[in-house]
Amino acid sequence: MARYLDLYGLFLVQRFKILMEYRVNFLIGASSTIILQVSSLLTIWVVMSQIPSLNGWSYYEVLLIYGLITLAKSINHMFADNLWTIGRQYIRTGSFDRFLVRPINPLFHLLADRFCHDGIGNFLVGSVLVITATRQLNIPWSLNNVLYLVLMVLSGGLIFIALNLITGTTAFWIMDAVPIMRVVFDFHLFAQYPLSIYPRAVGILLTWLIPYGLASFYPASYLTDRSLGWVAWGAPFVAIILLILAYQVWKFGLKYYAGTGS
Amino acid sequence: MAIIETENLTKVYRTTRKDPGLRGSVKALFRPQIVDKLAVDRISFHVEPGEMVGYIGVNGAGKSTTIKMLTGILVPTSGQVRILGRDPHRQRVDNARQIGVVFGQRTQLWWDLALIESLNLIARIYEVDPARYKQLLDQFSETLELGELLRMPIRNMSLGQKMRAELAAALIHEPLVVYLDEPTIGLDLIVKERIREFIRQQNRDKGTTVILTTHDLGDIEELCQRVIIIDNGRLIYDGPITTIKARFGKYREITFETCQPVYQAIALPEGAHIVTNGYSPEDRKLVLRFDRTLTTASRVAHDVMDQVEVNDFSLTEPDLSSIVKQIYNGALLEETTS
Ligand SMILES: Nc1ncnc2c1ncn2[C@@H]1O[C@H](COP(=O)(O)OP(=O)(O)O)[C@@H](O)[C@H]1O
Ligand SMILES: [Mg+2]
Repeated sequence: MARYLDLYGLFLVQRFKILMEYRVNFLIGASSTIILQVSSLLTIWVVMSQIPSLNGWSYYEVLLIYGLITLAKSINHMFADNLWTIGRQYIRTGSFDRFLVRPINPLFHLLADRFCHDGIGNFLVGSVLVITATRQLNIPWSLNNVLYLVLMVLSGGLIFIALNLITGTTAFWIMDAVPIMRVVFDFHLFAQYPLSIYPRAVGILLTWLIPYGLASFYPASYLTDRSLGWVAWGAPFVAIILLILAYQVWKFGLKYYAGTGS
Repeated sequence: MAIIETENLTKVYRTTRKDPGLRGSVKALFRPQIVDKLAVDRISFHVEPGEMVGYIGVNGAGKSTTIKMLTGILVPTSGQVRILGRDPHRQRVDNARQIGVVFGQRTQLWWDLALIESLNLIARIYEVDPARYKQLLDQFSETLELGELLRMPIRNMSLGQKMRAELAAALIHEPLVVYLDEPTIGLDLIVKERIREFIRQQNRDKGTTVILTTHDLGDIEELCQRVIIIDNGRLIYDGPITTIKARFGKYREITFETCQPVYQAIALPEGAHIVTNGYSPEDRKLVLRFDRTLTTASRVAHDVMDQVEVNDFSLTEPDLSSIVKQIYNGALLEETTS
């Protein structure tokens, strides 16, 4: 474990050296996500200025939900963006093989290979939103609340990573997994708003099947004193279960690869 | 104890074929057409520590597939492979510590990193002792002339520079076994020579076992005492290179470019015969093959030029595919059994 943390640090340092070499790209990448975010935020602002409350959720409460899912997404974006390109960049070119001849875990190698700086923009936007929203809503920054937020954001990040790992592993069979990944990934867009505004089926889907909602709607409900029971604490448990499942799927994919080599 | 052992090693690639168009896609979905490709067919051999073995065969013979099974990337369809007594796939990590791999056509290094950074990272992945790493870096820099390359990112390197970098990266953890899959493909002679020298040195100084696949006979002649020839996935020869050299050296080809199309019969010395003869005014090539043990190139050339007016002529070394053909025709069998 310590060895892997050590190695991750080394990979990260090298990655930043490359990024600094392409300084302009770095800045464009990191800020492009901010610009994208600003445009979706404008949409929320326009919608919310027409209707003061969305199914009982005020503007800042919606921002809190939005900020939480953005933070969770940014973790996936920064640390696991390489999952999108398993097929195109690694399997098709044959460079996946290099992971298999090195004495470290291939999944670790794949993820550590490219820290994605574009995610930093998302992380900053998400942080600003959550900080602003909690202030406006007078949610106290007690130790409990802060720890709760950190736990939920990390769990949310892991839920994103686990789902992408499951769908991304299909690259071993179909090479270009991006369309499949997109379908599942895009469900997180629902989790940018209160799940209560959707038909029941969507809410259930986003809670139990593609559980992005556990990282946004439920924590926000908890922080705004809407009692939803224990589901508000569901994210870490679901994240761990999903990760274990995803890792099994990944290992199954590796096994398939060892049979086909393409 | 043998360091590499294979027993009836076999690989079948199972692929699904799809007819073009939407109809083909739909058909493939419901009734996939499965096509099995036997890439490696019951290959058995042992390699002792410190041996350098040339693993040769024409394109598509199954060389890379074999290497992938030896390195643990692929699982054999049937048969056995043991490296240092281990199953290279099941005990992937333990095996990986002891081996070095170079795939000629693709890089093991980080495209955008300066070579030295890549090497530092690899040394840490393999947990090379820092003091030893320094020593090796100096050694490698000298033999492979890495000097100014160390600061250069891989993406800016020429093919030859890249290959030197790859070799350094693959051997920096002093592996016991090194697999080189077509390491000199597309390189010029000077770089080839440098790379061969480096491999020779590692083998001599550390007893590194080397498996070298190639379809360039030059690499083999320079480095290996033993060759394994495969064709269509089958092992067709495993033995000393001297036997091959003596045998394939037996036949040579001469190509004449004649001034006029040749229609008349030509009297040839014993052991020579015509392979192709272009009768048209555009294609005036006359190709002869002769047995070196029965006649000489100058004899053949002299006789031909006596009878036909010749613009130009050239002597070609036999290529691998013609050797494979000869082996099939029993050329080696006679030699080894007699
Ligand atoms: N991943 C794969 N899937 C299906 N067929 C393959 C695959 N890799 C190689 N082959 C086929 O297997 C045979 C052996 O290939 P390979 O081992 O790459 O040969 P070599 O390295 O000697 O050129 C070839 O016919 C090739 O087309
Ligand atoms: Mg090959």
